[in-house]
Amino acid sequence: MRNLFAQMNLLSKLSAVWMALMTALAVFGWLIPLPDPREYDPEASAAGLFSPGHLLGTDAGGYDLLSNVVNGARTSLLIAFISVGFGGLVGSAVGIIAAYRRGRLDYLVSTGFNILLSIPNLVLGLALVAVLATSSDPSVPIASNRRVIIIIIALTVVIIPILGRIARGATLTWINREFVVAARSMGMRDKDIIVRHIVPNVLPAIYSVLFLAVGVVIVAEGALSLLGVGVVDGVSWGAMIARVAGEFTYAPQSMYVPVVVVALTVIACNQLGDFLRGRLDLREGRI
Amino acid sequence: MSAILSIRKLVVNFETPRGLLSAVRDVSLEIEQGSSVGIVGESGSGKTVMSRAAMGLLSGSTVRREGTVMFDDKELTAMRADEVRDQFGTGMAMIFQDPMTALNPVRRIGSQLSEGPRVRLGMDKKAARARSIELLSLVRIPDPEAMLNKFPFQLSGGMRQRVMIAIALACKPKLLFADEPTTALDVTVQAQILQLLSDLRREMNMSMVLVTHDLGVVANHTDFVAVMYAGEIVEQAPTTELFSNMKMPYTEALLKSIPKIDSASGARMAVIEGRLPDPTDRPSGCGFAARCSYVQDKCRTEHPPLVDAGNGHLYRCWYPLGHTIGRK
Repeated sequence: MRNLFAQMNLLSKLSAVWMALMTALAVFGWLIPLPDPREYDPEASAAGLFSPGHLLGTDAGGYDLLSNVVNGARTSLLIAFISVGFGGLVGSAVGIIAAYRRGRLDYLVSTGFNILLSIPNLVLGLALVAVLATSSDPSVPIASNRRVIIIIIALTVVIIPILGRIARGATLTWINREFVVAARSMGMRDKDIIVRHIVPNVLPAIYSVLFLAVGVVIVAEGALSLLGVGVVDGVSWGAMIARVAGEFTYAPQSMYVPVVVVALTVIACNQLGDFLRGRLDLREGRI
Repeated sequence: MSAILSIRKLVVNFETPRGLLSAVRDVSLEIEQGSSVGIVGESGSGKTVMSRAAMGLLSGSTVRREGTVMFDDKELTAMRADEVRDQFGTGMAMIFQDPMTALNPVRRIGSQLSEGPRVRLGMDKKAARARSIELLSLVRIPDPEAMLNKFPFQLSGGMRQRVMIAIALACKPKLLFADEPTTALDVTVQAQILQLLSDLRREMNMSMVLVTHDLGVVANHTDFVAVMYAGEIVEQAPTTELFSNMKMPYTEALLKSIPKIDSASGARMAVIEGRLPDPTDRPSGCGFAARCSYVQDKCRTEHPPLVDAGNGHLYRCWYPLGHTIGRK
């Protein structure tokens, strides 16, 4: 691990540090003595950066921005990591098995992937949230926790075809290698061949795309919030942006702060994804 | 002696957009217990497809296989896929042409080597490790323990092929298919690997099918030879019989095309002009007619049958060579 860090260039190192910091905030942020993110300070509405008691200022409603960034990291990264992790797992498994089996299963799976990929991420996510987040009684709003789960499910569906196609493509390049035939000629079961021979070779391609997918999901969460179907009433980066969208000119820092945090996180993810791809591709070159 | 592998009327076709590609046409061959059989032919003659089809390793929706293959008195062609798989490793194993691609690049030698013993023989980790070390010493690799922790890219071609052989022998197969095991290696290493295979075959009392395009290799390392051309066996005989009493012009042409160290400097190398007939559109006559220096009109129109010349010698030619050719 330390070895990997040492091989990074400056930008990748900064990205890694940033992602570590955000992850630490998501996990341990509640330990930091900060104002409650959902309690407004009536005496400090639209406070600027570095105001006393509000390091990053407040928005027009008097909510502390630093506290929202720190506590929002939990929701936003939870959504990102779970949907990418789960979507990546399901997508890769389906992609690898389809590519290994070929035939009708592969045809069905790749057609399914292509259909999902033909719909823009945001439209697909929006449609899924709209369908899933209908409560039986329109007068009762859907609880914030349930909204988070719905968004995770929707974004998982968005991620599955992205990772699935990468995994399928990578599997197809390895499936006809002689070592796969050699493993079969030793009497290995399909399951063992996939786990021992295909997966270790496909993983590098998946790792780098996973990071890119985290960036995609963080942006999608923000965009869904802005469209009014995200974690609107909860604490997340997307919710911060959505809440202040109307009063942007009145307290500009309330928009800049979450947008900069989201942007830096997405850039860091992309950078790390690129670094990993370059790093892991070496192996193929060295065969 | 009984046959360990008996191939009867094996036909392999591939469905292609241009029509049916016939890769192997009506091949019958018996491999005696404990013997070493060479399968010779130029690139594209169907040697590799034939050996993989015999083992049941060809997969894909475009493969059409007919005929029967009996291994160890069991009919492979009638078995379910998982029953055939149970014959692999312990019954049959294969060594591949290119040791660069036949090893998994991202896994250590030790884990690839212990896979067979662990999965097929049910050994625990420790026993499998001991077996791996034993196998590496069997294929004469120095310092086998250090080898276990290496990745394939850290090894030379010859070392990789030794590792491949060790993997194939891991579960003590009764029959070993060696598919051009030395083609990707340089000449000095070739000789070592072939000698190693011959020694191991005797030590382990194993039968071997040696697929190659080199008649010189066949002469030194086999008991019986089948010459393939355009998906058919065109001549088969015990090795000594073949070299002393060659019948098929194609076999002779193959032998002549081996460069000789004592030929005059500047002399042109003997080649077989032309190329193999289109496998999607086989000629009606003899497949070799267009390239044969003894060709007659009959060869172009009528397909020659396999003729038995006695002593287990079969050939497929209307006008066989009458004269005797000395060995080399």
